[in-house]
Amino acid sequence: MAGSGHASLRNSENVLLSVRDLVVEFPISRKERVHAVSGVSFDVAEGETLGIVGESGCGKSTVARAIVQLNKITSGVVEYAGTDLAQLEGEDLRRVRPELQMIFQDPISSLNPRRRIRDVITEGLSIWNEGTGSWTQERIDELMNAVGIDPKFGDRRPHQFSGGQCQRIGIARALALDPKVLICDEPVSALDVSVQAQVLNIIEDMKVRYGLTILFISHDLSVVKNVSDRIIVMYLGKICEIGDAETIYGSPRHPYTRALLASIPEPAPTVDPSEGNIIGELPSPIHPPQGCRFNTRCPHATEICFSVEPTVNAVDGNDHFVACHHPVEVGVSLPA
Amino acid sequence: MIASVPEPNAAIDGAVEKKLGWAFWLSVAWIGGLALAAVAAPWLPIKDPDVLGAAPRAGLFSDNLLGTDALGRDVLARTVWGARISLGVGSVGIILGLTVGGTLGIISGYFRGVVDQLISFVFFSLLSFPSLVLALLITATLSRSFWTVAMTLGILGIAPIGRLARATTIQFAEREFVQASRVLGAKNGRIIVRELLPNVLIPMGALTLLGMGISIVAEGSLAFLGLSVEGDAISWGKSIVDGSQVRDLTENAHVALVPIVAMFLTVLALNFAGDRLREYTDVKETAF
Amino acid sequence: MSNAQLSVRDLEVRFPTSRGVVEAVNGVSFDLERGQMLGIVGESGSGKSVTAKTLMNLLPRTAEISGDIHFDGEDVRAIASGHRKHFWGVKMTMVFQDPMTSLNPVKRCGEQISETLRYHLGMSREAALKRSIDLLEQVGIPEPARRVKQYPHELSGGLRQRVVIAMALACEPELLIADEPTTAVDVTVQKRLLDLLDELRRDRGMSMILITHDLGVARGRCDEVAVMYAGRLVERAETEVLFSDARHPYTTALLRTIPRIDQPSHTRLVPIEGRPPELVNPPDQCSFAPRCRHAQADCLEGVPTLTNLDGNREFACRYPANTEAGRTSFFANEAAGQTVTGLTIAQPSEVN
Repeated sequence: MAGSGHASLRNSENVLLSVRDLVVEFPISRKERVHAVSGVSFDVAEGETLGIVGESGCGKSTVARAIVQLNKITSGVVEYAGTDLAQLEGEDLRRVRPELQMIFQDPISSLNPRRRIRDVITEGLSIWNEGTGSWTQERIDELMNAVGIDPKFGDRRPHQFSGGQCQRIGIARALALDPKVLICDEPVSALDVSVQAQVLNIIEDMKVRYGLTILFISHDLSVVKNVSDRIIVMYLGKICEIGDAETIYGSPRHPYTRALLASIPEPAPTVDPSEGNIIGELPSPIHPPQGCRFNTRCPHATEICFSVEPTVNAVDGNDHFVACHHPVEVGVSLPA
Repeated sequence: MIASVPEPNAAIDGAVEKKLGWAFWLSVAWIGGLALAAVAAPWLPIKDPDVLGAAPRAGLFSDNLLGTDALGRDVLARTVWGARISLGVGSVGIILGLTVGGTLGIISGYFRGVVDQLISFVFFSLLSFPSLVLALLITATLSRSFWTVAMTLGILGIAPIGRLARATTIQFAEREFVQASRVLGAKNGRIIVRELLPNVLIPMGALTLLGMGISIVAEGSLAFLGLSVEGDAISWGKSIVDGSQVRDLTENAHVALVPIVAMFLTVLALNFAGDRLREYTDVKETAF
Repeated sequence: MSNAQLSVRDLEVRFPTSRGVVEAVNGVSFDLERGQMLGIVGESGSGKSVTAKTLMNLLPRTAEISGDIHFDGEDVRAIASGHRKHFWGVKMTMVFQDPMTSLNPVKRCGEQISETLRYHLGMSREAALKRSIDLLEQVGIPEPARRVKQYPHELSGGLRQRVVIAMALACEPELLIADEPTTAVDVTVQKRLLDLLDELRRDRGMSMILITHDLGVARGRCDEVAVMYAGRLVERAETEVLFSDARHPYTTALLRTIPRIDQPSHTRLVPIEGRPPELVNPPDQCSFAPRCRHAQADCLEGVPTLTNLDGNREFACRYPANTEAGRTSFFANEAAGQTVTGLTIAQPSEVN
């Protein structure tokens, strides 16, 4: 199976969230389906920040939404604290929801324009009938202060705040229920550069303060590196490479990872800028290529890449996994 | 350290003050005054609308302020009394349409799937059924009481209102704040009531006024077919029909004209007020 | 008058709104030499896009514009309406962020490029179509003869943007303004588009203004970079000078706030506190002062003027970074724990 396999899964007690063979497909007609996520497996240890990076169409947001069951899962297991969320329905699912919260990409769209922001932040507590009593108000004040929104503005509506402030309100809403896992889907990509750092710092602070485990999804390689302990690179619904942040950026082995790192405006020193010149267009997710999904654009592709899907395999011994038949030998393509 | 700057414009102060404007209030005054007069008609110092006493076809500013009709009945009194039925069927009709159509539309737009297909089929059937035939069927089979006419008008409103409610709901149901609410653990009912209703209903509330105008005109049309409220009940539609005989139109145009003007001004006021209200309740989504 | 190809002096753009007059662009001046690439960097609301639209004569009629714009010595704002067709779209063209706004969704790509050629250059239908295929080939679109028959929605985002670039190049412009041309596309596509623009500029001796919010993009591609904040140009310098030795505290703060790929994970970012000011009736002071770590009392008295030093750099700041005055002001604020505007300086941070 291509870009799949369980090699990267850790057999450790503090794994909090474990995704195995996740497949998400969206039917578009009787015959055709969009293969958004095809057999993805990974796990997240408690207190860890896992970054998922990739370009549009790689399935990273679908993975996030599938974990919180906003998307219907075609097959696979999403195991959280010993329970398979994919098997839960109705009230059972609703009861675990507070444990896994999410912050969204568009800070404006993620707040109800007709509600006051204090009500927005209190919503979670109020759903679980904890919305009364002064301690709740204190907790809301504390949360608002924590994310840098003065509680005296609680009566205002979202349109009176900037994008960065709206995103902080969204973070406060997610944290009100004291979740274990926070899923951040492109949380800073709609923000101006000068406020990105504010929000990223808050996410880091909240992680420490509330003991969060974070899944951080972004297309921005620098942002992902800044917040993540461990990183997954995805392409067209498959995992290309998993490893800790320093390894992925310091010695990338998958040709696609290297292409990404070479394409950014100030390329990583570990790759040659010419590696960013990948050819062609992203194939259609309705008819993904046979074999390795990157084979249509990969400079290293050989016959086997068109027939056999690579599995995720350990390389370099330590926590570094690549799904490639011809992983790049680090240093080989470096000048000098 | 987070946001240590004092933010005087942390939230934008003095966000645009929206004003409804004097024309809106004039419209409201007209509708309100008319509604009040209609309710208080029995106690107002106007003549009895059914008494045939006065000279028939008296002109304006005679003994009767706005003249009399072919049977010598006071036109002013008949217009005020007519407002009872016209405004009555108009508002009851639209409330019915809004409640049934709105509810079905929101359910259809939120749950999608089979429910949506079913409800949409009902809407399409209603829309493709000629409205006049439907009105004829209902009023011909049932009695032509106030409630039947109001119900007819209401049923005619269900499909267009429902379709709009469905479209608005779909547009909001995909927004991230609805997903956020689901992730927090909100049940469907709560999501609909807390997150969707305010966004769907408030703009539709303004639509109520527009719909009421349409209903009032529709009552007029029914009256021409002899399908408005039966018996001695007075409505603007029936008054217009009464004043529309050829002789009246050429020599005593005021008999028809007074209720026509009343209807025109009311529908105009409803449209205008509804439109302004829609603009007024439209929320800005960003600060810039 | 300098001998620059494009010369902008004291450009001001105001929009009257219900909340007051929005001063979108406020006293912007710059020159662009022939064949050069100028980057204009700024956040949303900085006035960078409004500046570009002013140059392209694309602002709504409600906009109040003042200042001088000269192109090859010609007063651009005085171009007679009959002559416009031979100026905008021919000598000066623009590429927008979202290719779908520039492309008509119901027309084939070839028709759209042909139309430009026929309208501006009076080409025949056949010649225009042939030239369209050439152009698509030049912007690196595979199978151009097939692509001219396709509709925009049949192309990927990157290809669409190439079609837009081909359209912009149709009349061999002397100046191309690219407004966030790669913001809507992925990094691998971005690299290829920027490479293409670079190549076209060199081959044709074209000048370019690249408007972007991405400092990295500006650094990699531009000869000179201008930084805008709240409608004003606050710093302009040769690219390497700007990135290695910036003077305006906004520029240095911006450079410091971006996460960098060569930093280890969990490096604490240095945010720029607060938010950009409102552009309605801005006070007569340095617009960055409320967020600036260098701010002194006189920063709140009058807008600092753009100082031109030795021709290759200018900036609008009284206490510039990387200078003695800047260091002194910063240390004074750090010792006091806050600046004159109330910005607290919490922990000792590195000098800039």
